[in-house]
Amino acid sequence: MSPLGPPRPMADPITDFFWEAASRRELHIQRCQSCGTFIHLPRPICRSCHSFDLAGEPVSGRGTLYSFSETHKAFHPFFVDRVPYLIAVVDLVEQPGLRLHTNLVGIDEPDVRFGMEVEVDFEALDAELTIPVFRPAGAAA
Amino acid sequence: MSATTGRRVAIVGVGYSDVGRNTGRSERHHAAQAAVRALDDAGLEAADVDGASTWGGDAIDFAHMLGMGPLSWHLNVSVSPAFITPAVHAVMAVATGACETAMAFRLMMQQPSSAQLSSGAAQLGAPSVVDANFLYPFGNFSPTQWAGLLMNRYLHESDATEEHFAEFASIQREYATRNPDALQTDPLTPAEFLEKPYITKPLRILDCDYPCDSGAAVIFTTEERARDLKAPVVLVEAQSLSAISDMNFELLPDMVHTSPAHCSEQLWARTDLGPDDIDTAHLYDGFSVITFQWLEALGLCDPGQAGPFIAAGNTKQDGSVPLNTDGGAVNVGRRHGANFCIEATRQLRGECGDRQVDGAEVSVWANAVGPFSGAMLLRKG
Repeated sequence: MSPLGPPRPMADPITDFFWEAASRRELHIQRCQSCGTFIHLPRPICRSCHSFDLAGEPVSGRGTLYSFSETHKAFHPFFVDRVPYLIAVVDLVEQPGLRLHTNLVGIDEPDVRFGMEVEVDFEALDAELTIPVFRPAGAAA
Repeated sequence: MSATTGRRVAIVGVGYSDVGRNTGRSERHHAAQAAVRALDDAGLEAADVDGASTWGGDAIDFAHMLGMGPLSWHLNVSVSPAFITPAVHAVMAVATGACETAMAFRLMMQQPSSAQLSSGAAQLGAPSVVDANFLYPFGNFSPTQWAGLLMNRYLHESDATEEHFAEFASIQREYATRNPDALQTDPLTPAEFLEKPYITKPLRILDCDYPCDSGAAVIFTTEERARDLKAPVVLVEAQSLSAISDMNFELLPDMVHTSPAHCSEQLWARTDLGPDDIDTAHLYDGFSVITFQWLEALGLCDPGQAGPFIAAGNTKQDGSVPLNTDGGAVNVGRRHGANFCIEATRQLRGECGDRQVDGAEVSVWANAVGPFSGAMLLRKG
């Protein structure tokens, strides 16, 4: 593993909740406290009702796979020993079009199918950073 | 422009710098080379130019360096659909009378390679927006990665196959062998394409444009003034810019029908011409799937059929829609959209030598994909 460690999210008052939840192995998504719309990526205002009253809330972690791609080249020292790996885009069940960028784990690329059901899991990249990843629904970790 | 208010605008001068890999020359040097060649092509003096726009560097700096001015209009653009943004705004500046003659620039210096990035020899800049928080920890840094996501979804929804992308690359290279400006000129068979490694499966290295240092400049002025200049007149018939979502390509609501669909609809609504009138097409190939999306979005082939359409030979020089006749950015290098404008102009002037499409009178060029894009329709004056 690279001595540099993984790339870390910048501290930011609007997005810190996501990483704090992930460190507890929970998936939280920003939600408008006025109209209930989930918003991802996090923003300072609700796209639907223009409320500024927004907060992270837990979601089920269930979704379907919209697209995926297997990365074969490393673009950062931390990932040199990790290629090939799957990046993926998942639609969460909570709301149509609530889409999340993530990694797909626990499956080989040729077996991946568009629209397959997936569920959240968590991977500790090191002691300080845990990320939400997805694996095929029902598959044991 | 028809269906648009204002004065009719023409392209009167085009120029490139000495484009190449790691040239060692500065951005200003590339801007200066491109500008003097565009001025020479137009038969204009720097003092004749009273408007300037650029993506890359600073239009005011370039204008002063070249002895232009005073400028009546200027614009520095950043993240936007490649060269077409400074170009579209230059057309609007001339059309409205904000200036008489505008030069639009695109400067693009070579980006670090994956080898440099993975070894730590080069690093990505600190993320300027917190949105990168949701990409970098997942190992997503490179535009090749969103392109892999878009291409995979496109393969899933359309009739295209990886073999069709191989045919596309081979046909583009064939054009490049007839273009003295091209950097890649060895013939390429579809089988050779398929032997190249994946970068972000299903995307291979030759699905990507070719990194280089490049400068390009295009001069726009009124039709009236263009008639007095030396080059055959090329008119802007219509143009369109579109933005449908923010810059997170990974989260596009529909990765197959992105902003080129909206952009094309708007373009065709602004002209009496239609897809059947196109003699040559010059469609962005920063990643090959982008060209496939544009062919369908502009109605140059049926939805989902760009792959079979290309494999059937329709985009070759003697086909129904000669496409990227300079060889595309995968072969002429990452000139970031300017090459499509310049090649379309040269086709309409009849200057393309062995790759000239006989009787070319109407051409379309288009840039970018996903969140934003732009297209411009040109015709022989």
